[in-house]
Amino acid sequence: MPWRRVLVTLAVILPLIGLLAFGFSRDPRFISSPLIGRQAPPFALTLFDGKRISLEELRGKVVFLNFWASWCPPCRAEARDLEASWQRFKDQDIVFLGVDIQDTEAAARDFLKEFNISYPNGRDASGKIAIDYGVWGIPETFFIDPTGKITYKHVGSLGTQLIGAKVAEAKQGIITAKEGKGDYQSIR
Amino acid sequence: MKSEQNFVRLVFLLGISLLTISLPSPSLSGEPPDLEERVRSIAQELRCVVCQNLSVADSPSELAKQMRDVVREQLRQGKSPDEIKAYFVSKYGDWVLLAPPRRGFSLVVWVLPFVAAAAGLVLVVVALRRWVRRKKSSPPPQIEPELLARVHREAANMGPELLDPEAEGPRAQLLRDQARFYADIKELDFDYQAGKLSAADYTELRQELEAQAASVLRDLELTPPPAAAPDAQSEPQELEPEATRKKRSARGWRIAAGAIFLVLFGLTLGVFLSQSLRPRLSEQDTITGGFLTGTGEAKGTQSLLAQGRGSFEREEWPQAIEAFKGVLAVDPSHPEAHSYMGLILARAGHPDGALMAFDRALATNPNFPLALWGKGMLLYRVKEDFSGAKETLQKLLVQMPPGTERTEIEKALAELADRSGKQKSATKKAEAGPTTPHGQRIQGIISVAPKLQAKLDSQTALFIIARAGGGPAGPPLAVKKIDRPAFPVSYSLGPEDVMMAGTAFAGEVHISARLDKDGNPMTREAGNLAGEFRNNPVTVGSQKVDIVLDRVM
Repeated sequence: MPWRRVLVTLAVILPLIGLLAFGFSRDPRFISSPLIGRQAPPFALTLFDGKRISLEELRGKVVFLNFWASWCPPCRAEARDLEASWQRFKDQDIVFLGVDIQDTEAAARDFLKEFNISYPNGRDASGKIAIDYGVWGIPETFFIDPTGKITYKHVGSLGTQLIGAKVAEAKQGIITAKEGKGDYQSIR
Repeated sequence: MKSEQNFVRLVFLLGISLLTISLPSPSLSGEPPDLEERVRSIAQELRCVVCQNLSVADSPSELAKQMRDVVREQLRQGKSPDEIKAYFVSKYGDWVLLAPPRRGFSLVVWVLPFVAAAAGLVLVVVALRRWVRRKKSSPPPQIEPELLARVHREAANMGPELLDPEAEGPRAQLLRDQARFYADIKELDFDYQAGKLSAADYTELRQELEAQAASVLRDLELTPPPAAAPDAQSEPQELEPEATRKKRSARGWRIAAGAIFLVLFGLTLGVFLSQSLRPRLSEQDTITGGFLTGTGEAKGTQSLLAQGRGSFEREEWPQAIEAFKGVLAVDPSHPEAHSYMGLILARAGHPDGALMAFDRALATNPNFPLALWGKGMLLYRVKEDFSGAKETLQKLLVQMPPGTERTEIEKALAELADRSGKQKSATKKAEAGPTTPHGQRIQGIISVAPKLQAKLDSQTALFIIARAGGGPAGPPLAVKKIDRPAFPVSYSLGPEDVMMAGTAFAGEVHISARLDKDGNPMTREAGNLAGEFRNNPVTVGSQKVDIVLDRVM
């Protein structure tokens, strides 16, 4: 009889403790994106060189869309790897596109100069593109396949190896439902 | 003068009130006055994605402001509040709603509190009913009037009866109960005579006590005096008090078990919470540091790390080493602990050991700033390997945001650039190093015994150790580390592998090798492979000092 009571008590308490423990062990800031596997939201971006680019005109190519800011250390950490990957892929049907958010124009230009970044970059001053893509921590990168579908999302800095692998997957339209996570910085 | 001030203040106040009246408050751009109100009411239901538990309406963050702008714009386009909320949900998921939707798994959040409250209510009702029922049934079943009369008589006349407090057995216990009830009755009488009790209370309490005393008397009659040895005949008579005693002791056990459970539960919870909870260290950290999920740092290392850092700053080297060793015992690849160990070793004049420690930190995290800084400065100042220093410091510079630390690194790099001329001659010297003094080296090949091939692990480091004095217990004179060796592997131990700078690599040494699972020479794990040179000791200068790893530690 007392054993039954103990068991019932444990059956009530343990799931509650488990729930509490689960909550404590999660990164409270991490927001899973509902966008993966869906059509990438369209946008048009004015680049730092004055040209204008829209996602529509990149249909048929793999798009590597990277959100960054000059004040974010993990963005600095990945900058060289991104440029190196761009050098590797620029002759294929792959476009790298950087979107600078929550930044000043001068600081962003300094950043691009410091890391010799040659792929197209533009500033999203109003933050509308960032919100459209559900950005909350940077660097945040979306891999978009030739049909315009988001195949993978990565929050945090990327390395050349992962970029290579995910670009290859995007080419074939292979979707990774779970986003990757690295060192990131919450936006402001 | 004073009235003048008052007048100015009055005009000022009037001006402000006029302004506030004339301007329709927040929206200055000729928008319908209720637009801001509507923006606010929608923003209040959206969660700020970069804050904690703040709505988009209340958050001062830049992103929240941009989100409010989006809400405003969509309202102007004629979208309904539900459409706008759906837009944000499609971007950030249900997470973005401060009130989770009443469907799917989120429904639990809405239902659970009510279920819990209802369950609590049922529990209280059940407990109360049981309590009331027990109270009702508690008056002794049938007390014989003659027993009550006896209680009445004896309680009045009882003197200080001599009871043996040590006596054991059911009868002695009953006798003690009897005496206690009689004393209680007497005390009640006394209190009533002293006017402390009302007549009604007195009657009720006295009846209760008398009933209890009478039931004790009845039990006493059923229990034979100890003189009459319990024989087969009296056994059934003893049954009832025995049963009550058993019942009582069972209840005692239950209470004791409950108490022990509570204490254990409290202790476990206390230990668990104090060990696992701490302030979040970085943005992506949790307050348990992934204690339960195993994603973050192992438990307990945080306080040790803090202790180590403190000792390091106070230059209390032994304490600092102790603390960082503790961290490495829990997490053998902890980059920060390795970095600090490296800094301590560098200060103590062991540049090779320090370099090894920095490399170990960088093996786990190739961009760990402290290790990059330590390694870069060590290569620059001590080892004079300027190109290596430059490469390391540049790697660090890339990730440093502008600030004093960055300026410091830039200064060091500028100094390095100045020295680039001297560097060339230095590298030449370094290149010449390993080749010339053939007589100061020990060379050979290390292989693994065929039967142990299966135990090989790719994530290992091979240490080749030369011990001074020629015996297996001598102090290590020189150590070489080969990461992830591909067997058979050839090695060459030379003066550059000496542990203590300035010691000569000469004389007779004992050569052994160990394949270490975690790459940390300080710790030895079961399962490490080891072997010695067959013809130890060896004189420095020997070749073909081949070792077979043939032992499992």
